[in-house]
Amino acid sequence: MIRLVRRERASRKLAVAAPLLALFAAILSNLILFVAMGKDPAAVFYALLLEPFLTWSGFSEVLLKTGPLLLIAQGLAIGFRAKVFNIGAEGQFILGAIFASAIPVYFLQATGGWIWPAMLVMGGVGGALWAVVPAFWRVRLNANEILVTLMMSLIAVQLLNYLLLGPWKDPMGFNFPQSVMFQYDAMIPILLPGTRVNVSLLLALVAAFIAWIYMQRSFGGYQLLVGGLAPEAATYAGFSQSRAIWLSLLIGGFAAGLAGAAEVAGPIGQLQRSISTGYGYAAIIVAYLGGLHPVGIVASSLLMAALYIGGDNAMVSADLPVAAVRVFQGSLLVCYLAAITFVRYRLVRTKGATS
Amino acid sequence: MIARRTFLQTTAFAAIAAAISARGANAADPLGIALILPSPLGDVGWSHTLAAGLDPIKAAYGDAVTFTILENIAEGPDADRIMNKVVADGNKFLIAGSFGYQNGAMQIAKRDPSVTVLHASGFMVAPNFSPFAAKYFQGTYLLGMAAASLSKTGKLGSVSAFAIPELITSVNAFTLGAQAVNPDVEVSVVWVNTWFDPAKEQEAAKALIAQGCDVIFSNAQDTPSVIAACEEAGVYAFNLNSSMKAYAPNKYLGCVATDWSPFFKASVDAHLAGSFVGANAFLGVSDKVVEVVDWSADIPADIMTKITEAEAKIADGSFSPFTGPITKADGSEGVAAGVVLADADIIAMDWHVKGVATPLPQ
Repeated sequence: MIRLVRRERASRKLAVAAPLLALFAAILSNLILFVAMGKDPAAVFYALLLEPFLTWSGFSEVLLKTGPLLLIAQGLAIGFRAKVFNIGAEGQFILGAIFASAIPVYFLQATGGWIWPAMLVMGGVGGALWAVVPAFWRVRLNANEILVTLMMSLIAVQLLNYLLLGPWKDPMGFNFPQSVMFQYDAMIPILLPGTRVNVSLLLALVAAFIAWIYMQRSFGGYQLLVGGLAPEAATYAGFSQSRAIWLSLLIGGFAAGLAGAAEVAGPIGQLQRSISTGYGYAAIIVAYLGGLHPVGIVASSLLMAALYIGGDNAMVSADLPVAAVRVFQGSLLVCYLAAITFVRYRLVRTKGATS
Repeated sequence: MIARRTFLQTTAFAAIAAAISARGANAADPLGIALILPSPLGDVGWSHTLAAGLDPIKAAYGDAVTFTILENIAEGPDADRIMNKVVADGNKFLIAGSFGYQNGAMQIAKRDPSVTVLHASGFMVAPNFSPFAAKYFQGTYLLGMAAASLSKTGKLGSVSAFAIPELITSVNAFTLGAQAVNPDVEVSVVWVNTWFDPAKEQEAAKALIAQGCDVIFSNAQDTPSVIAACEEAGVYAFNLNSSMKAYAPNKYLGCVATDWSPFFKASVDAHLAGSFVGANAFLGVSDKVVEVVDWSADIPADIMTKITEAEAKIADGSFSPFTGPITKADGSEGVAAGVVLADADIIAMDWHVKGVATPLPQ
């Protein structure tokens, strides 16, 4: 009988080695898989792991994908540390995209430098508004925010479908459910010439910095943290729990909405059904991979984005089926989670006990 | 509509396009052909048919061509990135297998004239960019005749993917074919707004059956879910693209099959010869792209004779399902008596014929 026992003190060396070990284990196990499939393992790993960083076009796409993941994950992590589990970032992202799109949809002829910043603000507000509902029900009726935020995401998808199939459908779009293409001024300016990376990446980095200040250096962040770690102590110290819930959900919603706005005003350029390829859910993984720490999340969002891009590369260049790419991405996460567990816990062999 | 008509002007660019693609064709390097698909590459359906359309090219050119087939690529920024990557990797012939890839694929075509793009179901044209679509309506008309002859309730149904012109025409021709046998027939449509969602499609089929529809047209589903649900419920069903008889051995009415290989082969030949000119490719029975296969043995012999006659007339061009008089669902005139609707109008159709009970989503 083997049991997991919490280590009294997690070793720092081990904490650094764990992700590397996880990466190594995932690569090795998948190497065997790819060889068994008759693929050239060197070509697969070049495309999957190296190419996203070695070519400028590949790396710029990694940065493009990092933006929304970073923004959403930073917002979510603040809530997660306060033990407020907003898993509806996907819906808040969609609402952000919808709110932002209202400007070009209704004012397609408008010009001026104010349009894209206004769209970003609208997006943030839209995402935050969508998070008001779960926050309100949680504070008033103690309704579980995990369920409410998740269900609100399903509603958001239907709202998006309704708008695209109905009032916001492009009149020249042959009945396809998508909006008009936005005008030039509704697009966020490009940050790195020759790529699709736009100014919203800077915004995500600024958000990461603000999150760091707030969570590590401010009294407000400390209150949230204590509320999550020791709710009773927090209450005893006079920290309001409902304030923590409101703040967590509104910050998470605002960040996700901002990311949604940046996506439609960035690489997409119109409102369509597939605006999110699961950013809201992927960001939950990113937040935990980054240890819910603002700096860790910068690294984990970069890693996650690189995994996505590398996976696509492997399909294009190394002829890997999409399922094998998903297996690799999944096994990397499993290995990482296992490694993290062994940093915090150790295996102990016990005799005879059955429970 | 305006964009659709500009294809006439593209002939002006023919000389330029020829010169440019000739430069891109280098005999020493194999030609990289990439196919981007919106759904998983299964054993049946749209994606399967597109991929199968490449086989004769492989047979004809052998090592002189390479293939990159990418399945289940979501329409949107990811597809744009993947198509860019495919072209950056040196592929010069891109087949964008879904309407939603249009903007990204067109950007590539404009940026790099040495790349030839074929785009499914779209309306944009450029010297090196051809939209392609099948005249499914030629086949669905014939199946409409068969459906009306077998229906006891006089109610027919269709589970349809998106309310785009290509699929609207399929439903309309299906209705017109049915009316040719039974003028009182009524067609209900459920627009599921997805290319690939087995659960949703199956639910829609069951809803239609519950309303009394006893022949179901699975309009552009990439899964056999509708066909299988109909077999289970004991009602006839047919579909587009590739035969799904294996999923409905008893109640399979037939398949409006598509074979893209003649079009793909001709386009690759033209690309290699440097003579490719982008144009609207709207292909049907006479192009050997559309053919009805796996007819049900239950269709009465006299109706089958009529169907065979109509099929022959469609093939030789002496008959079009969209021959007036045709009344629109709202009662206004769709096609005047004696007029045959032109391809350009068929490909842009945004109205239902009388007899389709479900209003088009507006």
